[in-house]
Amino acid sequence: MMPSLGFFRMMLASGSRYLRTVLTLAEFELRKLRHDSSEIFIRGVQPALWLLVFGVTFASIRAIQTGPFTYLQYLTPGVLAQSVMFVAVFYGIMLVWERDLGLLNKLLSTPAPRSAIVLGKALSAGVRSIFQAIMIFALALIMNVSLTLNPLELMGAIIVIVLGGMCFSCISMCLAPIFKTREKMMGIGQAITMPLFFTSSAIYPIELMPDWLKAIAAVNPLSYVIEAMRTFLIPGYYEYYQPPLLLDIGATLLATAIFATIAALLFRRILE
Amino acid sequence: MKAVEAVNLTKMYSDFKAVDAISFDVDEGQIFGLLGPNGAGKTTTIRVTLTLIKPTSGSITVFGIDCVKSAAAVRQISGYVPQEVSIDTDLTGYENLLMYSKLYYTPKDQRESRIGDALEYMDLADRQHDLAKTYSGGMMRRLEIAQALMNRPKMLFLDEPSIGLDPTAKTAVWEHVKRLRDEFGTTILLTTHDMHEADVLCDEIAIMNRGKIVADGSPEELKASVGGDVISLVAHNGDCSQVLQEHGKLLSSRPEEGAYELVVARGEKAIPSILESLESHKIHVESVSLKKSTLDDVFLKYAGARIQEGGTWKDARLLRRAVRKRG
Repeated sequence: MMPSLGFFRMMLASGSRYLRTVLTLAEFELRKLRHDSSEIFIRGVQPALWLLVFGVTFASIRAIQTGPFTYLQYLTPGVLAQSVMFVAVFYGIMLVWERDLGLLNKLLSTPAPRSAIVLGKALSAGVRSIFQAIMIFALALIMNVSLTLNPLELMGAIIVIVLGGMCFSCISMCLAPIFKTREKMMGIGQAITMPLFFTSSAIYPIELMPDWLKAIAAVNPLSYVIEAMRTFLIPGYYEYYQPPLLLDIGATLLATAIFATIAALLFRRILE
Repeated sequence: MKAVEAVNLTKMYSDFKAVDAISFDVDEGQIFGLLGPNGAGKTTTIRVTLTLIKPTSGSITVFGIDCVKSAAAVRQISGYVPQEVSIDTDLTGYENLLMYSKLYYTPKDQRESRIGDALEYMDLADRQHDLAKTYSGGMMRRLEIAQALMNRPKMLFLDEPSIGLDPTAKTAVWEHVKRLRDEFGTTILLTTHDMHEADVLCDEIAIMNRGKIVADGSPEELKASVGGDVISLVAHNGDCSQVLQEHGKLLSSRPEEGAYELVVARGEKAIPSILESLESHKIHVESVSLKKSTLDDVFLKYAGARIQEGGTWKDARLLRRAVRKRG
């Protein structure tokens, strides 16, 4: 039997409502950022130190082999991705904070589907990540790191940044309904970001890792985000390594979809 | 049709019964209050009705819509002001309203007029473009109510609407809530631990204690059920006991001291006729005083305790203060 036209119309209407919820949440995140953007600068201090201190030092002692590219070129996309992860992981903590305040109860009292709220929060994290990344990108340019300025490649990088922000905020929003308190979530945030960072290819190539670490890096979403960013941002990177860009983006997408689904399923538990 | 109908509603948290087989109904256009102490199950009842949490057993409907089966439909016609803070203090008053008008899928051409109306109605129009963290406690509360009006709800849920407000701001919130009902016929279900609030605001009250409804009725009925008002009078020339007994129940009578206490249903109405009949017996009354029965007496009778301040209310108040200071 063919589904009736009315059915399609209904699906279309609920699909457009779904999308509107997601976009509305991201829109108001942007408005908040416009009212007060100081946080972007405060959160920029740590990645700046990675570039200015760690990056410059390791570049001068030439301890890590990065092919024909300078170490700072290699490190910048890694630090960029790390800062995106730090921004995004904060969203699980914010979810608990909004629950404690009452904002989350209020949000859940609207007809918006739970999963749209999860995706809306994730997209908010993605949007905020863009601004964080722009700051670090600008710093790298000031430090005279050679990065692409090709608008198409930059567009690609922005898409990866948004995806990365969504992925890590979803991981964090999966954990929020399990740990439930702000104190625990702060600890969890610390406990997952650093291991994810050090088991990724952010500061050293995967080829240099011992085998056990390689295995972890292979399932670490951050590695895929970083590789995709390097492909877009470092001039000549794609030609030299022929990295599997579609695999990197696909893996990030898949991880985002999995964690978003889990977060949406667990979401109700955060109120109880 | 009833605005809210709950039958044997129960909510368990592991083995703790937060709400214990309560049944109640709210008429359309009524202001219905759930009154009770901390942990009585009032907020849980509201959250189940709002479909935020699922009941363990029993049934609950809002305007005939089942809260478990058609949760989104219930949410579309409901407005909610939680006990805690529901506005984003990093956004302006206007933006807080715009966000919720979008989340309720208000048609684009109606958004501005609804936001304008709500701001006007809650006396916030002149501060609408200031960040909400610069608002006073009363303004924040009014903004929260305005926010809950964005979908023009048939059913409004207010959880402790005047908590943490100073007396003037409290009265203003009460006036606004009453006007909503009077002008738009909005049905309102609220929770409160404030006897006075329940008395001035509610048409009907259900008193909750430990997850159960222990008494319900209009404030007048409830107060009458504890016996009524107490009139004390002093008169020395002659024994009044006989005359007074015709007007109500004599609580104490000490003719040698000239002091009498009498329980009547409506004190202010009884006094003139009592004075008149004493006058006709040539008894001169020197003084008379009236102690109205309060909902506190009602609560004491049905729950066997007085409502105590503290617990989560203290937290809620501290929270509201903290949020304001963040700005």
